[in-house]
Amino acid sequence: MKRTFLALILYAWSLAATADAALQVENARVREAPPNAHMMAAYMTLNNTGSSDVVLTRVDSPAFGHVMLHKTEVIDGVARMIHQDDIVVPAKGVVELKPGSFHLMMPAPQKRLVEGDRVDFILTLSNGDTIRVQADVRKKP
Amino acid sequence: MLLAVVLLAACSRPEPPQLRLGTLLPSAKPVTEFQLTDHHGQPFTLENLKDNWTFAFFGYTHCPDVCPTSMSILAQVQRKLEQQDGLDRLPQVVFVSVDPERDSTALLSQFVPYFHPDFIGARGDTHNTLKLSRQLGILYGKAEDSAADNYLVDHSAAIILLDPDAALRAVFGIPHDADLIASDFLAIKAYYEAIQ
Repeated sequence: MKRTFLALILYAWSLAATADAALQVENARVREAPPNAHMMAAYMTLNNTGSSDVVLTRVDSPAFGHVMLHKTEVIDGVARMIHQDDIVVPAKGVVELKPGSFHLMMPAPQKRLVEGDRVDFILTLSNGDTIRVQADVRKKP
Repeated sequence: MLLAVVLLAACSRPEPPQLRLGTLLPSAKPVTEFQLTDHHGQPFTLENLKDNWTFAFFGYTHCPDVCPTSMSILAQVQRKLEQQDGLDRLPQVVFVSVDPERDSTALLSQFVPYFHPDFIGARGDTHNTLKLSRQLGILYGKAEDSAADNYLVDHSAAIILLDPDAALRAVFGIPHDADLIASDFLAIKAYYEAIQ
């Protein structure tokens, strides 16, 4: 009886863990940039199929010096890029990283990236989970 | 009789076009002298704005999201206009740097033609950049929370249209759309030619 109860607890815990990690990353792409560009941007769709919020806290990529979470906001016609400490994807919700909105900003590309290249990203969530994502480099992101 | 003449004059005067995206100025605002340098190292001054239509966008090469998006849209506008029958000359497109500290002529010469080989990059000292930007209603400045060595620049994201008299004629706010900008341009050009 005790063993069955423990198994049930473990099963429930595994379900919860699955729910927390239920972030589907779709349509990941990097905008091809002019030669010698110092700054690049990446976009993707974050689809949370789980029943609790997912918080993206960090992104890394071997192709760049570092990766920052940003959001473009246009206030009274003036575009500003606002640094984001994290991006919250609500339960059963979708956050689009897209031009003119949330995006990844990547300074210092290690090499010139052109359409057809692929770039690896590692997304880290607030619960410590990591998700590996491969993004296509596209002229029209 | 006089009423009839007035009415006839009123009827024959073309109506300003109803634009789909842009805002047409009630009266065009002539630009005054400024001194910039283009991405070939040649002077880019008021004279370069005369006798042709000009789309101007103010941005910086370290801008990864807004500037490449708007420059790509301007390239799409140019390609749509290239296919337009009866357009004897394409408008010129000028990217004016709001970050001349980092945007060298060499950097502009790689960044701007990437979007379209005919596009022009222009930079100047702070005085001359402000002299032009203020006339066109463009605001810009370093973002307050930026790191000293890797700063961001906040800037107006509008696309500006100048007529062949080097006068501010229309403004296209964000979000930009190539189809709407191209059709608005043709409507503004037809109106301009009708009132000459």
